[in-house]
Amino acid sequence: MVIHQQRLAARQTRRGLRTAIAIVLLALMLFPVYWMLNISLQASGGTLPSSFFPPHPSLAGYTIAIEDQGQNLVTSLLIAVGTVVLTLVIATPCAYALAQFRFRWISWALLVILISQMIPGIVIANALYTLYENIGLLNSIPGLIIANAANAVPFGILIMRSFMLGVPTSIVEAARVDGAGLVRSFLSIVVPISRNSLITVGLFAFLFAWSDFIFALTLTTEGNITPVTLGVYTYLGAHISNWSAVMATAMLASIPAIILLVVAQKYIAAGATGGAVK
Amino acid sequence: MSDAEVLTATEPTAPSSDTAPARRSGRRGEEIAKILFVVPAALTIIALFGYPVVKNLVMSFQNYTLRTFINGKAPWVGLQNYVAVVTDEVFTKAVVNTAVFTIASIVGQFVIGMLLALFFHKNFPLHGVLRALFLLPWLLPLIVGSAAWRAILEQDSGILNVTLENLGIIDTPIPWLTSPDVALIAIILVNIWLGIPFNLTLLYSGLQDIPDELYEAGALDGATGWKAFWHITWPNLHAVVSITLMLGVIYTLKVIDIILGLTQGGPANATQTIATQSYQRSFVEFKFGQGAALSNILILISLVFAIVYLRATRRRVDE
Amino acid sequence: MIKKRLVAAVAIATLAPLTLAACGGGGGSNGAGSNSSSSETVESLTVLDYYTDEPGKSNIDAQLQKCGTTVGVAKVDHQSVPGPTLIQKVLQQASSKTLPDVLMLDNPDIQQIAEAGALAPLGDFAINADGYAPGPVSAATYDGQLYGLQPGANTLAIFYHKDVLAKAGVQPPKTWAELKTAAKKLTSGKQYGFAFNATADYEGAWQFLPPMWTNGGDETDLKSPQVAEALQLWKDLVDDGSVSKSAVNWKQSDVNDQFIAGKAAMMLNGPWQIPSLQKAKVNFGVVPFPINKPDQTSIAPLGGEAWTVPETGNDAKKAKAAELVKCMNTDDNQMLRAKQGGLVPTKVALYEQYKTEVPSMAGFTDAVATARARTGKLGAKWPDTAKVIYTGMQLVLTGQAAPADAMAKAGAS
Repeated sequence: MVIHQQRLAARQTRRGLRTAIAIVLLALMLFPVYWMLNISLQASGGTLPSSFFPPHPSLAGYTIAIEDQGQNLVTSLLIAVGTVVLTLVIATPCAYALAQFRFRWISWALLVILISQMIPGIVIANALYTLYENIGLLNSIPGLIIANAANAVPFGILIMRSFMLGVPTSIVEAARVDGAGLVRSFLSIVVPISRNSLITVGLFAFLFAWSDFIFALTLTTEGNITPVTLGVYTYLGAHISNWSAVMATAMLASIPAIILLVVAQKYIAAGATGGAVK
Repeated sequence: MSDAEVLTATEPTAPSSDTAPARRSGRRGEEIAKILFVVPAALTIIALFGYPVVKNLVMSFQNYTLRTFINGKAPWVGLQNYVAVVTDEVFTKAVVNTAVFTIASIVGQFVIGMLLALFFHKNFPLHGVLRALFLLPWLLPLIVGSAAWRAILEQDSGILNVTLENLGIIDTPIPWLTSPDVALIAIILVNIWLGIPFNLTLLYSGLQDIPDELYEAGALDGATGWKAFWHITWPNLHAVVSITLMLGVIYTLKVIDIILGLTQGGPANATQTIATQSYQRSFVEFKFGQGAALSNILILISLVFAIVYLRATRRRVDE
Repeated sequence: MIKKRLVAAVAIATLAPLTLAACGGGGGSNGAGSNSSSSETVESLTVLDYYTDEPGKSNIDAQLQKCGTTVGVAKVDHQSVPGPTLIQKVLQQASSKTLPDVLMLDNPDIQQIAEAGALAPLGDFAINADGYAPGPVSAATYDGQLYGLQPGANTLAIFYHKDVLAKAGVQPPKTWAELKTAAKKLTSGKQYGFAFNATADYEGAWQFLPPMWTNGGDETDLKSPQVAEALQLWKDLVDDGSVSKSAVNWKQSDVNDQFIAGKAAMMLNGPWQIPSLQKAKVNFGVVPFPINKPDQTSIAPLGGEAWTVPETGNDAKKAKAAELVKCMNTDDNQMLRAKQGGLVPTKVALYEQYKTEVPSMAGFTDAVATARARTGKLGAKWPDTAKVIYTGMQLVLTGQAAPADAMAKAGAS
């Protein structure tokens, strides 16, 4: 019994140590973010904080940000969440097909998808402007959702396909033998098993859409739809910049987003395929 | 060990052949259903990317200027744009910088991402929250990030130099962004920082997908620590590692925002890459044909990597 | 069989968006061909600029709305986009024939956009720039025709900390020699004597123009010894430690931050920084950029934006837009814009009044009267030359070329 308690204590210390190390690593990684916090508390609006801790912290930047950017935050969230849903709906079946179905043209399809990732974003945005202008999707949140989702779909396909290559066909075969259709076996077996990759792709789709600037800029012409990435320019003029308001906006905007990400990350559980074969 | 081999990437098995007519029409229906899995994605990709690819290619053979936007005329000039950009004196430096920037960024991001993913693979308190917080840099607009980094890397009063000097590691401030020799290193370091969350998240998910039974079985055979990594983790991670590296290379070749935000390609063209040159040709100098030519050169380079990747994965699947 | 037909169907379905996209780029979908008679009433006008930040955006908006009422337009749609993205937006709109009715352009961009055929000459609407300072007129004139009216202008001058200079017993410099000695003397501890921006972009080129032009250098002949001497001045200041090496990476806002934080005793900057200087309660003075030799005059580059009328093909709207542009340039509106935006009016007749009402801007007013347009001689070819200028300047400041051959090395013809 004593040995067991000792082992337990030792493991808990090791775990606690890991947490401590993780916090240090995170602190190093997030130091620039801390610096943004530092700048956001400067009264002057410049980017030149003179010391580690702001000598006279001022919430002026935050007051301005809260007053101005609430609507923009909602816009960003709507676009990002919409993008996640649409991306997963379109990309997941395609990823599975390219992973498990035997098409002769899979390599070509993958090549096309990879090429799509090589195009500079601004080239795509310019082409999309013309298209949207013709079909009337400018200045709309659905329009931005479609654009961001279409941008994230190739990435989603490539990532999920890599994960789905490891889905044992024996499971799906078993379901098919039992009479389940292709779509049914896909939805009830493959999707749950691929939960990790779906959540991962969802995370990235969210991040791509959240931090997108080029589509938001190009595909809006009236200034009534401004996600946060565009909204910060209220404080960045052609000649003068109020960086504390900019940083405050960025910090505030990231709070709801990081909450969503933390919640989502919890679902990337270990060994999703384990036990399924048995 | 045999379980591990069984549970690595299995090749898809062909549908069972059957000659009964009912099954044949069912198979045809299945063929249609299989195509329908792909159709929405195919439509999306062609609609969004088809036109830009074609337009970019065509534009690189045209004299495309500001005037073209007004009257739509872009005279054909053949390979003139390509000749112009390749013989430009900054081109060689841009190519070298692109190679150094990409290779160093990928190696740095991947190794650190891998180490962090392995580190977070264990279950310890708060590991989920802490890992999610690593994504925070991606939530902040790049213009905010580059402003913060410029402040940190400032030669005289930036906190990095101040800290290094206070710790006694350096005597004179390092000219991070102001020396042609050091600037490239500085942007590589910032780009590695930017790329860590990407690698960490993908590799971590890949690790999570490896069944615990493999490790338990391996531990019984005496494979722990480094051996476990080499014989169990690495082979099972192959597909995720390949796609992470592949996409990492493609995305890094395209990077412009962080470079332009930190150094504008300077000082004295020390941090120009093919991507930044392409952007500046098009949107600062309004020589869109040349900008398109440069981005096509970049696409060609990416294509080489893509073909290598496809060859490698195809061989793997066929094994 | 089915597979082939399916593939064909998919191919046709996907060609649709391609053809749609192709259609949009080419022939006129809206606006290009239509020519309405000038007697039609114009309901609304669209305006595009880059005044995204407050309070500038609201101030301009108020002026635009008021002018809209004055010229008899029910609605003025005012859109602002981030500064660096304005031209991209204009190009997108040009190719889809959706240019705004009134377009703000930074003065060095006017001639390029006019050359491309996107702007309507203001002479068509009986608008001229009589009584304006020469700089704004030459910037907005292409091929003999006026394309824009600029209500306010700014330029560069040397700001200095009055207390710091008084304490060190240094007079604000009037010559280059005085600048060098003053800067050297004022460099102590964390404080540099002088700060300027030398980045690898148009801002860096713009900041190099005061020494270059004052010394008689010209943008049409960058390899001349006068330009080399200007480069030498910049190099000397950095080499002897009076200016931080970080100047190659500082934007003008960074230079201002350094000045406010007391890390630079003097700086080269413009009047748009004055609100932040006043907010930080800096006791500053302003002097024009010093001269090198006794018979020279201090010449500074012209800054500021103009209002233009794009070619939208709609004559009625263009006429109304021109009226709006003229309204934004009335004496009252020029004075208002100048006071709100930290600018100087461009009509010479207003100068005395402005100097009396806003004494702090007296120095800048005189400078604007003689300010020189960057595109005055090179027109649409200015951007290429600007690139050579900032590249050459950075080669000198990073020690990779000597002032004598830096411009040649940077590609000067």
